[in-house]
Amino acid sequence: MAIKPNTQTGNNPELIKSVLGARILVVDDMALMRQMIGMCLSRGGYKNIVYADDGDEALKMIEADMPDIVILDLNMPRVSGYEVARTLRADSRYEGLPILVQSASETPEERVEVFAAGATDFVSKPINQPELLARVQMHLQNRFLIESLTDFRARMQSELVMARDMQQSLLPETPSVREIERASGTKLESFYRASFELGGDLWGCWLLPGDCLGLFVLDIAGHGVGAALNTFRVHATMARFQRARSDPARFLTELNNILVPSFPLGQFATMFYAVLNYKTGDMTYAGAGAPRPMVIGDKGVRLLDSTGIPVGIVKKPGYVNIEDKLQPDESLFCYSDVLIEAPQPDGQMLGEDGLIAWVEEEASKPGRNNLVSRLLRRFFEGQPTSLPDDLTAVAVHPDRECRK
Amino acid sequence: MEYQITTKDNVASIVFSGDITFSENVSFRQLLKDIAEQPVNRCEFDLSGVDMVDSAGLGMFLIAREQADTAGWKLAVTGAQGHVASMLKLTKLADLLDG
Repeated sequence: MAIKPNTQTGNNPELIKSVLGARILVVDDMALMRQMIGMCLSRGGYKNIVYADDGDEALKMIEADMPDIVILDLNMPRVSGYEVARTLRADSRYEGLPILVQSASETPEERVEVFAAGATDFVSKPINQPELLARVQMHLQNRFLIESLTDFRARMQSELVMARDMQQSLLPETPSVREIERASGTKLESFYRASFELGGDLWGCWLLPGDCLGLFVLDIAGHGVGAALNTFRVHATMARFQRARSDPARFLTELNNILVPSFPLGQFATMFYAVLNYKTGDMTYAGAGAPRPMVIGDKGVRLLDSTGIPVGIVKKPGYVNIEDKLQPDESLFCYSDVLIEAPQPDGQMLGEDGLIAWVEEEASKPGRNNLVSRLLRRFFEGQPTSLPDDLTAVAVHPDRECRK
Repeated sequence: MEYQITTKDNVASIVFSGDITFSENVSFRQLLKDIAEQPVNRCEFDLSGVDMVDSAGLGMFLIAREQADTAGWKLAVTGAQGHVASMLKLTKLADLLDG
């Protein structure tokens, strides 16, 4: 059977080039065998072939310049083929290096031993040349495909990490949070964790005239790149209407006006925005379908009404302001839905009632100012490290000395 | 999420079960395609077997509603209970989807 140049690598010219340019190390103590295998490979179109006389030399050559595949004889003086395979497999640098073993005796026991030593594949002697070429080609293709996929994956991963960091940079920074705390005499406890994919959570807080502070949480439906990009859009849009910040319903309405035409169908943001007078406790808020925030006092929890059509869906959502008053012992707690929707170890979701029970339990213990971190510690005990969606939790705790 | 479609007299009834979340994106879009290929003038989404819907799931219902408006059929959402009902109430989407 005639040996044709190796062109059976599909339609990918880059892959054909990589395969034929691959560095192949032929290890055999018999000069005749090295020559024969080398000739077979050159006829198959391979140009970069190097040789080693025994296992010891092979290991040195691999160390100096890693080949793309090793064609390995088993029975050699000094260091045998088995030892070469074992040595290579014990080293993580050579994890993906294909080892094609050639051997004359071929008992089932020997095959088992060859694979146990770490060989990728097996050809028997006398060498059947088309078979050798077919196997070399297959393993090189696999190697290059896996390599390019691994590279691609690593690149995507690093881009996602960068995007996640950028998204995180939209959140209030510690110095500005400290400044708000100092000016308002409150304690702001906040937590944010991005999901394994990109997500669409955002929260923010700012000081307003008349002893007030504004606090919003929002969650863009879905996740992935689309939701994340819209987070940036929303953040940039919000900066435009500073004057509406003291009026929650107006703030949501103006945001909605801009987002309705620009959000794609099916995408929207659930939101809650409150303006709190930190001296009197008077609070005005408006909701757009965010999970109902909790007001946590010494005697228990009450829920705020955040009902409303999410931002970005309809032209006239009809947001309304609701008045409330925080008592000196009361904290405001806002969170994103993954907290109540993520499956717990029993497979059930916590739900709003479940979360209220947790909050009441934790609130009865000392240390209101770290209530959120205690809640989340409990939450994460039952969670895998990666969440299905972004998690945001923010609380404004009163400084009881300040607000009388 | 799983669903079963039955069509009778140009009315398609779709009975959903399981969770309707972001990961159901693809199968939900397939469902909408299936509906588009049938001569319907009314579609009923029965959610009584659905345990939870997240915000992305609600987004998919909005897409269904838009398709209804464009293609000229009516959408009815029925049977929501528990978490699904409270989500529809919280986001005021029940009225928006029905009709």
